[in-house]
Amino acid sequence: MLKLKGISKTFQQRGLVLNNLDLEVKQGESISIMGPSGSGKTTLLNIIGLLDKPDSGTLLFKDEPVINYTGDEAAAYRNRNIGFIFQDHHLLPYLTIYDNIILPTLAYRHSASKSAALEKHARELMEKVGISLLGPKYPVQISGGEAQRAAIVRALVNSPSLLLADEPTGALDLKNSEILGTLLMELNKETGITLIIATHSQLLAGKMSHRMQLEDGKLLPLFKN
Amino acid sequence: MIKGLLHIIFSSLLYNRKAVLNQVIIIAILAAVITGSLLTGYSVRKSLKDTAFERMGNTSVLVSSGLRYFDTTLSDRLSENLGEKTVSLTELNGFCQTFAEAPVSKKVKIYGVNNDFFRFHGIDSISINKGDVFINANLAKQINLKPGDDIIIRTKAISDIPADAPFATADDAGRSIVLKVSGVLKDEQVGDFSLGISQIVPSNIFINSEDLKNFSDKQKIKHNRVLIKNSENNDLNYFDTVLRQTISLPDLGLNFRTVEATGENELVSDRIFIDQIITDDIRKIIPSAAPLLTYLANTIESDKGLTPYSFISALPSELYNGTEVKNKIRINKWLADDLSVMPDDTIKLSWFAPDSINQLIEKSASFTISRIVNMDSIWSDQTLMPEFPGISGSESCSEWDAGVPVEISKIRDKDEDYWDKYKGTPKAFISYESGKVIWGNNYGPATAIRFPVIISAEEIKSKLTGSFVPSRSGFIISDLRKDSIEAANGGVDFGSLFISLGFFIILSALLLLSLSVSSYFNTKKSQVATLFSLGFKNQLIRRILFLETVLISVTGSLTGAFLGLLVNSYIIKALNSVWQGAVQTDTLTASAGLLPVLAGFTSTLLLILVFFHLKTGYFLNSLSRKKDGVLNLPSQRTNLWVLIAASIILAVVTVSSLLIKDHSIPLSFTAGTLLFITSILLLRQYYLGGIYVSEGSRKFSDLGRLYYRHNPASAIAPVIFISAGIFALFITSLNRMDAGKSASNPGGGTGGYLFWTELNVPVTDDLKTSSGILNYGLDEDPFAEMEFVQISRKEGDDASCLNLNHVSSPPLLGIDPSDFIKKGSFSFASVSEDGSNPWELLQSKAVNNTIYGIADQTVLQWGLKIKTGDTLIIRAETGHHLNIIIAGGLKASIFQGNVLIDKASLRKYFPSVSGSSIFLIDGDHERSESYKTALMDRFSGLGPNIESAGARLASFNEVTNTYLSVFTVLGAFGMMLGIFGLGFIMFRNYNLRKQEFALLSATGFTLRTIRKSLFSDLLLILISGIILGILSALLATFPSIQNSIVVSWKILVITILSILITGVAVLLISVRTIKSESLINGLRKD
Repeated sequence: MLKLKGISKTFQQRGLVLNNLDLEVKQGESISIMGPSGSGKTTLLNIIGLLDKPDSGTLLFKDEPVINYTGDEAAAYRNRNIGFIFQDHHLLPYLTIYDNIILPTLAYRHSASKSAALEKHARELMEKVGISLLGPKYPVQISGGEAQRAAIVRALVNSPSLLLADEPTGALDLKNSEILGTLLMELNKETGITLIIATHSQLLAGKMSHRMQLEDGKLLPLFKN
Repeated sequence: MIKGLLHIIFSSLLYNRKAVLNQVIIIAILAAVITGSLLTGYSVRKSLKDTAFERMGNTSVLVSSGLRYFDTTLSDRLSENLGEKTVSLTELNGFCQTFAEAPVSKKVKIYGVNNDFFRFHGIDSISINKGDVFINANLAKQINLKPGDDIIIRTKAISDIPADAPFATADDAGRSIVLKVSGVLKDEQVGDFSLGISQIVPSNIFINSEDLKNFSDKQKIKHNRVLIKNSENNDLNYFDTVLRQTISLPDLGLNFRTVEATGENELVSDRIFIDQIITDDIRKIIPSAAPLLTYLANTIESDKGLTPYSFISALPSELYNGTEVKNKIRINKWLADDLSVMPDDTIKLSWFAPDSINQLIEKSASFTISRIVNMDSIWSDQTLMPEFPGISGSESCSEWDAGVPVEISKIRDKDEDYWDKYKGTPKAFISYESGKVIWGNNYGPATAIRFPVIISAEEIKSKLTGSFVPSRSGFIISDLRKDSIEAANGGVDFGSLFISLGFFIILSALLLLSLSVSSYFNTKKSQVATLFSLGFKNQLIRRILFLETVLISVTGSLTGAFLGLLVNSYIIKALNSVWQGAVQTDTLTASAGLLPVLAGFTSTLLLILVFFHLKTGYFLNSLSRKKDGVLNLPSQRTNLWVLIAASIILAVVTVSSLLIKDHSIPLSFTAGTLLFITSILLLRQYYLGGIYVSEGSRKFSDLGRLYYRHNPASAIAPVIFISAGIFALFITSLNRMDAGKSASNPGGGTGGYLFWTELNVPVTDDLKTSSGILNYGLDEDPFAEMEFVQISRKEGDDASCLNLNHVSSPPLLGIDPSDFIKKGSFSFASVSEDGSNPWELLQSKAVNNTIYGIADQTVLQWGLKIKTGDTLIIRAETGHHLNIIIAGGLKASIFQGNVLIDKASLRKYFPSVSGSSIFLIDGDHERSESYKTALMDRFSGLGPNIESAGARLASFNEVTNTYLSVFTVLGAFGMMLGIFGLGFIMFRNYNLRKQEFALLSATGFTLRTIRKSLFSDLLLILISGIILGILSALLATFPSIQNSIVVSWKILVITILSILITGVAVLLISVRTIKSESLINGLRKD
């Protein structure tokens, strides 16, 4: 599903972050990427999500080269295929939880039936992650764990095939981290969504089918469940 | 510790150098505007003082006798007594013409001087000989004169006798001479010499004193001004004392002589009548002095006969025993024979007497004959008849030019015989008290003052010398330098004026600064948090922030204070050129004063420090506020209720403005302001979610509005700023004063009159009477259909907005208010508290030297700095302090610069002011051009300056309109600055919402969509502000627009379009700077 070949990225101040990196991910796999701070985990996720461009290398998504997509094509690629989760939930403070969740559906025009289907899907996901009653509330009115669950629903609302999570439990306590990890794995199993998670958490990484270490700009396999 | 703190502060400033530089630039703009304005005020004041000093030359103190004349030797005597250099001259108002094909005449000052005038001013190279005429460069330029050209100079005749005094001969045509221009004097050669207070360059003519004889019937030259050179002692009391000691009887026009018939000494006046105040003073000094009064009777009539044109004396009983009985008359034998009367018979006298406005009316009274006296000794005294010009010295009665109508046909041969034999020997005698009542007038109660024989001439002279108080004798002493300084200092304050005019620049700069500082503090949140975590106390953190802001403020204010010098020089350049309409001169110079620079620096610094203090406090408080999970949304319901209430009031006021025509202007303005408020509330309601979209129908375009629902101030503040700016610009432009629209409206500033005409030689006739009409040939077409309103003027310093100085002695115009009451002319901006009609108050009789006056509201407010109900005190010619209570302030009118009083009061307190020198003329407005030609022709000998009343009003309006233009230009500049502020808001909003946009980018929103969203949100703010401002202003000024006011729509449209285009450009540039790379950073956890 996803093939990265010879990806390199250098930043002016940080130097070489990714060094001729290769990665191949199959549909339905769940991969954790670990590594020290500044090792390039976020950069790698940004390159996969076409938020950033590598200096060299190729990126195939479902066998299609996407690295040279224009800005609009990259945006469409992200909207249809990728879901993002961040350490901070990034819920917009002036939108209700429901409005935050359906935000990705507003990027493109949909037919009425498609819109209705997307909304139904959003409700189902909310139900599934246990926040169905939080729709009318604002981010400031809910807990951090609930906000992060809302962020997961937002990432999944367009039914992407790949979920990229950058330190999703970094701002959560142990209990909420456990709940979130379990939830992600359930989604992986039930929907077949591919997960790539950058994390420092051994607990969360332990739940993934593949664990990898990013070191010196390269990915080293650690463990395969 | 301090060193460490300073290191932190400097490092912080260096690290944030871009933001710091922004703030320094904004503060510098603010300081430059404030300092530049203050420097402009300083420069204008200094220019006014310099101009005044330059024009008065070496004059320090001025002794003026007003419209009277004194002996030319007074100057030398005064110099001797003072020990100071002095010079005397004659100052006259006149006009001049050339022999060019299209002759032009100009209002000029004519100075009759001797060579010592130029030497007095330190110019030895110029000598003025008899027949020489020097003009100043301004006049040469105006009527294209050069040395060698002929110039016709015309002015009213120089005479001791006021033209309106009884028996003064009519000399309406004035006097003129033709001279060759010898040279053109530059300003440094005192060419622009002036004793008045005004920055406007005068038009001057200098002639030799000897040539003044051309303007006079007398061969003796007299002067009316003494200049005293710079003196260390400028105590006016000292000058008053010395002048008092110096004044001699001839200086007051009094002549001493011995009466042959009685052997008594007497004083007679060059003015025929001796002033009441001088009569009183003489009687106080010498109680036995007795005034007498001789007058011309038109007829003396008995049952049996009539004697025409006879002189009758009112005699003091102290000198003429038996004359004290009231209603009794003694007649001489000749008259008794002529009338065939005996003692106890009654005879009737008739005579011409001036009424309160000096129009001659025939009056009569009956007396019983008490005694018939023989024509010898004291009863045959030719000297009792004063030197009536046109009568004294005539060979026969038929040659009389008496200044009163004389019917020659009534004069019989026996009357001629009497004249041949006895000249003006009075034929009848009444008591002085009776004579004073019936013949006493504004010019005095006596034609001579006699002294008993027992007092010698020497004793009289010795007692009277040094006894006349100058101010009671028509003399005014003024410290010209001090007056000029006070006038300049008290004049229009251009400092505060330009600060007001630059209001929008200051407001915009503060807005920009506020946004810049907010952004700056936003970036410092984490730094402050770090300092907190490191154990820095709140106080210390506050101090660090404060010191940072002090450094920024001082740098900005200091830079701006110096930039203010540049701003000042540009403003002064503009005032001398494109904005000359406001100052009426191009002689202003930019000056750099330490005090205004310091004041500009200090005031900006203080303003900014207060601003920073508040901002820092707010910032630190916001940091320490805990997030408590409570959502604080602004109340939509409260806003709705206020909106409904405002809408209802708006509807009521708008309908009222349409229905109540009398108050449509203030009501419309209120409606416009209410529309402004209501629209802001409506917009706020929109942002607060009043126009709600249900779940499930969300569009991306709703995102911006949902953002502003939580932060309505972010959208409303710029809308208020833009719309308030546009509102002010519109109101300013629509309030431009246009004389044209009200030119024919009696209630407007022209009073409905066609022409304002000034004559250099006043008309002494009443042009409403048949004799007046005939004298000036006004019975022919097109004059017959014209209406003339005659106005007398007592000269003074122009108090109109054309004069930048503060004026304390404005010109007084004597009017007959009944003309204006009848016609409904002019309107009042303010009236006295009891609501009395000011025109009617004007006619109230003077009590305790207190009368009513009227002036333009602008003259009251700016020129005289008083208000309706206040009292203006003026020194009257009669020596009294004249109290003028302001009965009302006129709306902008053609009278600007003057104070109006009743004509009778003017005559009473300024008896030397003669005739009418101003005319308001009305007629068929369609024929104005032919009227003007005819009037120019008919009054050509009187130096007419005929201008359309509308044009005169427009010349005053030009000052206001120039100020409005300045406001518009500076306002538009301020608006542009504000629009850049809008771009700043965009950046600020973008920075605040950076993570939001990064998330949108991550979830598949294109960069174009994000830019479009931001752009449309801010475009809505920009357009809302513009539309709201325009609509409110249009409603506020609806009556003016409806009355087809001349609006500079073109300028308005260009200004609005400039604001729109600049705004759109700023927004476009701003959104283009948002790059996807910068968004990614927003996703990284700090």
